[in-house]
Amino acid sequence: MTELVVIGAGLAGLIAATRAAQAGHQVKIIAKGLGATHWHAGSVDLLGYFPNETVAIQRPLDAMRDIARVQPQHPYALLGDAQIGDALKNFLALARAIGLPYSGANQDGDNLWLPSPVGAARPTFLAPRAQRAGELSRTEPMLIVGLRGMRDFYPELIAENLGKQGHRARAAFLPLDLITDRRDITTVQLAYALDDPARREKFASELKKLAQSGERIGLPAILGMDAHADTFDELQAQTGAEIFEIPTLPPSVPGIRLTNALRNHLRELGARVDVNMDVIAFHAEGARVLWIESEASGRPLKHRAEKFLLATGGIIGGGINTDHTGKIWETIFGLPLVAPRERGQWFRARFFDPAGHPIFRAGIPVNREFQPIDANGARVFANVWAAGGTLAHCDPILERALEGIAITTGSAAACFAGRK
Amino acid sequence: MHTASWHSVGMTLDECIKCNICTAYCPVAAVTEKFPGPKYAGPQAQRFRESGQLKSPDLAVDYCSACRVCNEVCPSGVKIAEINARAKAQIVAARGIPLRNWFFGRNEILGMIGNRAPQIANLGFHNPFSRWMAEKILGVARHAPIPHWSTRGSFASWFRRTPRLKSENKVVYFHGCSTNYYEPEVGQAAVAVLEHLGYEVIVPPQNCCGLPMLNNGEFPAAEKLYRSNLAKLVPYADRGYPIVGTSVSCVLVLREEASEMLDVENDQTHRLGRALWDLSEWLRDLHEQGKLDTNFRELKMILPYHVSCQARAHRMGRPSLDVMTLIPGLDVREGNAKCCGLAGTYGYKSEKYEIAMKVGADAFRFVRAQGDAARMVTSDSEICRWQLQHGTQKLARAPIEILAAAYGLYDLDQRRLKAG
Repeated sequence: MTELVVIGAGLAGLIAATRAAQAGHQVKIIAKGLGATHWHAGSVDLLGYFPNETVAIQRPLDAMRDIARVQPQHPYALLGDAQIGDALKNFLALARAIGLPYSGANQDGDNLWLPSPVGAARPTFLAPRAQRAGELSRTEPMLIVGLRGMRDFYPELIAENLGKQGHRARAAFLPLDLITDRRDITTVQLAYALDDPARREKFASELKKLAQSGERIGLPAILGMDAHADTFDELQAQTGAEIFEIPTLPPSVPGIRLTNALRNHLRELGARVDVNMDVIAFHAEGARVLWIESEASGRPLKHRAEKFLLATGGIIGGGINTDHTGKIWETIFGLPLVAPRERGQWFRARFFDPAGHPIFRAGIPVNREFQPIDANGARVFANVWAAGGTLAHCDPILERALEGIAITTGSAAACFAGRK
Repeated sequence: MHTASWHSVGMTLDECIKCNICTAYCPVAAVTEKFPGPKYAGPQAQRFRESGQLKSPDLAVDYCSACRVCNEVCPSGVKIAEINARAKAQIVAARGIPLRNWFFGRNEILGMIGNRAPQIANLGFHNPFSRWMAEKILGVARHAPIPHWSTRGSFASWFRRTPRLKSENKVVYFHGCSTNYYEPEVGQAAVAVLEHLGYEVIVPPQNCCGLPMLNNGEFPAAEKLYRSNLAKLVPYADRGYPIVGTSVSCVLVLREEASEMLDVENDQTHRLGRALWDLSEWLRDLHEQGKLDTNFRELKMILPYHVSCQARAHRMGRPSLDVMTLIPGLDVREGNAKCCGLAGTYGYKSEKYEIAMKVGADAFRFVRAQGDAARMVTSDSEICRWQLQHGTQKLARAPIEILAAAYGLYDLDQRRLKAG
């Protein structure tokens, strides 16, 4: 008998399932499709900005205490220091165990600044090993290398923008045919191509000729998929330079690496991950959900479990849907939502308003145990938990908190579910 | 359940957010640049294929293998594979169909002809010279695993010849062309298991499900077959008999694909759809009701299980795995390769054979990794079994043959029913 069904295979769902499986529970993930992690930069943003403020946060763990004062219902406020610390510690250990080590700036818990795909500085809390050398607090000059003919990566643009911000950076190109015989190729296919030792050796020897002594080399995030660690190590060893990846447009290779590693780990723990399962109905008796049903070719497929954990994402992820009349609903259980009352209140006039748009703060309100509640604060179901982007009272993209909220709430919700 | 209509497939186009996750997972685009990937050939190109416009903007869609991995991973529910299938049909309608593809669409007739004198037919077609000629003249890949006609006679003739169990409980069996003419043993195993469980098996007149035609863009001919099957099978559905099939792809066509792609949707298609089961799915359901005889003999073997793309396209979970797991001693190992590559008639075509073998490499690697102790491999689709046998030199058996062996009814090595 499945104890816990997690709905959603983004970071929140994968972390929640892993946490529960590690605790010895029978876990299954079902998801409509793949998403979320394939759109991430692969780093862990914890908290970068407060709404309405354009100055970035330097120490997110300290800033969270302020958030708790101003927004007592924010997921971070519900979690508190101890649970956030525990979830992050757990994630770091997990990431190391699955061969994708992450690290933060320093012991003080400062945010890291890394270059974005257009050369802007982005604050993040934990970075995968291959992104660390791109830290903008460092002064060594950067050589940004692109592949001529590759779509979606423009080294001149990145170098120019970095230069405008006072960093020393220059751009260079290598021919695409060092890595591939194809002309039409995606970042994911390039990453798989570099898994081949012969190709990356050729690539490394040409790369070495470009770099001047003392320069660190920024490359698009294509440095191997399954053999990422070897690819990264060999490129550094052969060029003698520090190398860093800059995430590209989706689908994101660093995000896919993390998904693959987490899914493989879940499989080893005996947990199944099934995608292409769109939940269309549920059956509850009293306050307990007994099963959910997913759409299938013949007849709906029943998933019985003792507990259900929603990690379906927000409006972008598909956990929350809206229509043109201003209706807004939670897609699995029709849970009560916190949302603007009328459609006219969804958006502010300016697209890049630093206060963000009210509709993106819409979501499922939960109690301190991450169980969905109604307007009176009463728990809706006894055996349902929620985590990640589907939660109310936060705007993970605006706050630069997307992965942080996913990891910390996913971890905490799974722990609460495990205790019941 | 999603309603099947032209409208619904077309409407999903608007759900595409161009995230390219489908391209990242497409097993064909990963190994050849002849196919630009599902997003480009599907939702992107579709915008230029106005209804009624005969000229397709993109002939590369012919390189889509119809494995449906794109549908599976899409976070937005876009029916990419169906969009591609319709685009192929549009090309065939405008330009006509190559003779080879016309033949491939008619495997029912080819089966019937070869079945008259299988030894002669096998000798005539499956000798190196004929295969070389077929490649040169027709473009049928010389080394592709095209099945041999069964020299033990067709399934239907065996069924008529041998005495049958009579019972109150009746099940209708859809065998499909491959079981009838190439692998009658699969049908015999199915009948043996069903009769062992106390069911009377009815094998009504039936036609090819039409999948080879759908895959080769011959929609009008496929529709004739679909309507003929409807006429032949719906009366049994109306009597309340379950209709089970051992070919996952036939069942998928009859209960969803044909209706969706051909835009044939009515009360009859719904009635047939509701009565149809994949045999493993039906046995799993029986087990969930506590009605499956689980008195299995020990089957001490390591058995790699390749989950075929057609089985995953059902979104029904892993029924064969669920049922085989009940067999004591059997060490079933689930692989996670996306596709065996052969994909219907795709890998039979000389210009696509190499692509199919490259796509299948992951599945072959998984099977080989289980070591020499694993003598056999299993998969729900006959196509996958032939390809795995071709790529790994191991024996391939259907899950129902494994089950029949576990009931003591079947010899897996000899591939025949045990006497008595």
